[in-house]
Amino acid sequence: MLRNKPFIIAITILLITGVLSGCANTLSTAPEAEMKNKYGGTYRMAIIQSPLSLDPVHAVDTSSSRIVYQLFETLVDVDSDGEVIPNLAKEWDISDNGLVYTFKLREGVKFHSAIGEGIITENGGREVTAKDWVWTFKHIIDPDTNSERAYFLDMIKGYADYREGETEALEGVVAKDEYTLEIVLDHPFAPFITMLAYNTFSVIPREDVEMWGQDFGFNPVGTGPFRFSEWIQDDRVVLTRNEDYWRKDEEGNSLPYLNGMEFRTINDLTMQWTEFGLGNLEAIESVDDPYYHEALEKYPDSFLRKPQMGTYFYGMNVTAKPFDNKKVRQAINYAIDRQGIIDRLRNGRATPAKGVLPPGMFGYNPDLEGYTYDPQKARKLLAEAGYPDGIEITLQYNTDDIHKRIAEAFQQQMKDAGIEVKLRHMDGAALFEAMGKGEATFFRLGWVVDYPDPDNFLHVLLNSANFGPLGNFTLYKNDEFDRLTNEARVESDPEERRKMYQEAEKIVVEEAPWLFVYHYTTEQLLQPYVKDYSLPPFGEHNAIFYSVWLDK
Amino acid sequence: MEAFYGRRSVLTNYVFRRLLAVIPVIVGVIAVVFILTSIVPGDPARLMVGQRGDPATIQKLREDLGLNRPLWQQFIDFFKGVVTLDLGRSYRTRMPVIQAIAERLPITARLALASMALAVTSGVTLGMVAALKQNSMLDYGSMIAALIGISAPSFWVGIMLVVLFCVQLRWIPGTGTGDGSWIYLVLPALTLGMRPAALIARLTRSGMLEVLGQDYIRTARSKGLTEKAVIIGHALKNAMIPVITVVGTGMAEMLGGAIVVEKLFSLPGVGRLGIEAILNRDFAIIRGQVLFMALIFVVTNLLVDLSYPLFDPRIKYGRTWRRE
Repeated sequence: MLRNKPFIIAITILLITGVLSGCANTLSTAPEAEMKNKYGGTYRMAIIQSPLSLDPVHAVDTSSSRIVYQLFETLVDVDSDGEVIPNLAKEWDISDNGLVYTFKLREGVKFHSAIGEGIITENGGREVTAKDWVWTFKHIIDPDTNSERAYFLDMIKGYADYREGETEALEGVVAKDEYTLEIVLDHPFAPFITMLAYNTFSVIPREDVEMWGQDFGFNPVGTGPFRFSEWIQDDRVVLTRNEDYWRKDEEGNSLPYLNGMEFRTINDLTMQWTEFGLGNLEAIESVDDPYYHEALEKYPDSFLRKPQMGTYFYGMNVTAKPFDNKKVRQAINYAIDRQGIIDRLRNGRATPAKGVLPPGMFGYNPDLEGYTYDPQKARKLLAEAGYPDGIEITLQYNTDDIHKRIAEAFQQQMKDAGIEVKLRHMDGAALFEAMGKGEATFFRLGWVVDYPDPDNFLHVLLNSANFGPLGNFTLYKNDEFDRLTNEARVESDPEERRKMYQEAEKIVVEEAPWLFVYHYTTEQLLQPYVKDYSLPPFGEHNAIFYSVWLDK
Repeated sequence: MEAFYGRRSVLTNYVFRRLLAVIPVIVGVIAVVFILTSIVPGDPARLMVGQRGDPATIQKLREDLGLNRPLWQQFIDFFKGVVTLDLGRSYRTRMPVIQAIAERLPITARLALASMALAVTSGVTLGMVAALKQNSMLDYGSMIAALIGISAPSFWVGIMLVVLFCVQLRWIPGTGTGDGSWIYLVLPALTLGMRPAALIARLTRSGMLEVLGQDYIRTARSKGLTEKAVIIGHALKNAMIPVITVVGTGMAEMLGGAIVVEKLFSLPGVGRLGIEAILNRDFAIIRGQVLFMALIFVVTNLLVDLSYPLFDPRIKYGRTWRRE
């Protein structure tokens, strides 16, 4: 046998090259075959939480927005590099003073003509015009709608007057003609255009909203590539192809390719993984840590991963002892082994945070120094702060397996620096209340952007104008930081803005109102036959499926 | 029926009295829920806006939900709603509470009934076999199985069943409700029915052993009845009294157990509705769900009490019992 070894190797090589060349042949003939097969199929995805509302004005959780993005459309979109691209607005112009936004609307965009099992919508499938946008913005801002995200628009001219019922019209939003929409701001707000990609700012048909009232969220009507079909609470949401969708592929063929989508609520991650393995699903929301390596091995090309625009951190109330001392806050930042936690507890599924802004975000500073793992330095800083015998602090976090494991590792690591950590966990509702009352002075939080701009991190979470539920739970206040983040909002030159944000971030890193832990990774496990899916950088829940197809 | 319950009017009175007694129970239960929801930290309006929201919106939401009013007023309003069958809307999804429960009820009802049917048939069979073959290997085997059934946690058993029947054997296509076929009910029902099955097996065994030693069984045997007639007709019927109690209380317990099983198997039932509502401080759903659970509990207890005479003629309700 041994003597035959060279022969066997030769045969094997021949066979492999043969197979490979065979593959190459099939690949080269693929386009024609592809065209025939692209259409059809249902994309079935397991989600952890049932959506709360499919009404875009109330969709504030990822489960809802994931579906809302298929049913509704915004003026602009953000591509996978975080760049703003046209959507229902085909082009736009921003005045030199940064106050007037003029949108040229796409023609031929129609609202869904039917939903569910052949329910004809009130709008009857009519075209979207600038008037619809005017009504939509008024509807979002109307206090009776009570949209959780209306306040995002408070820079629009006339916002306050309209909200308080002093004017009939919303001054800042005007239909110039059928396809021209003008939005005027009170003061320049550079992230405005990016913010318009947020799911709440989708166009909705007045007739249907008024007919369904509070139940519009259960009977959503939009313009998206899919239309609503069925929602069995806690079980599944079913969408079907919108036959009248405006977008075409590069060859001019109608989109979307998929016949429909189905989102199944499966709370248990083991069950998600099992069902995926059984072939009952095209995608699952999350691969639990125990299956991570198996998933990487089994699905090397269809387990997509990329840095997400989000940061995991522990906030410190800078008005409470001992966190009122900067050196204490720095000491805590030096005492944590971020890479160790990520490697050992998260399978490497994150990047250590040097500061606030995640990689991939505009303004991200790769040269930021951040904090190294240095327990000795932490001890020294504590001594300088007047705590030579160490400190005792309580970390409060919302009950969750991952948060618990990280908190316990953190507790161990802090011991080396002379910091005794007590852990308290509670559900999210209780944690918010404790933070609000100032009872939680050291707390776990995470933040994933609503719109991919540093403003959504630095201003909303750390500017002193946003104390409390508006986002700044640490009560951090620094005049220079406030000035920079305020001015960056109105600055129109991107390079200037970048500089301002990088400077602001430096200040906040030095002052350390947070323990910067890590930046999230967004992932999407797909069956290998799911094609042309692109993973958005601010989370898989922002993916839109008009060009996704199934190769099976 | 006449023979079991005595005069019908007496029975009607009894049922009527029992149903009247439901009212203070429900008021008490809801009062406790109100007190608990007001003590538990966590503001639903705050939670609705997500991690970050502006105070004006939160305040407006609190007003819309009626959370700014005194607790006693909310309590009275709730009962006004009960009378008019309007329990308000879910804080989170804005769906009417009654609709939210009604949509999920068939799932939980099917699950509970299937599990109970499974529990009764397998439990009674095992228990009977164990009693008749006392101290044999069959007896030990059944009782060990029952012990495992009582002690094994359902979330673990559920996963093991899925691994075995879905992944390894591929007999069952998956979890959830699938295409609505009964096959999807098998594993959840097995998981949920395991504990009551084990309890019933043990109770049947001990009940049978006790009854088999009694005089009337000897009499029945001496009358020349076949062993089958003695066991089914005389012994089993009497041994069933504790079993029925388990079925009654077990139904209520099952609604609790359904929370775990529904979550594990992704079934959109009432149990899952409740647990999600608690986590999200959806007081409207919590109140509605507790009210509903309490009703089920009271009604099943009543039905159990009413069914005792079917099995043991010595038990009768109303004055006729005292007259005899």
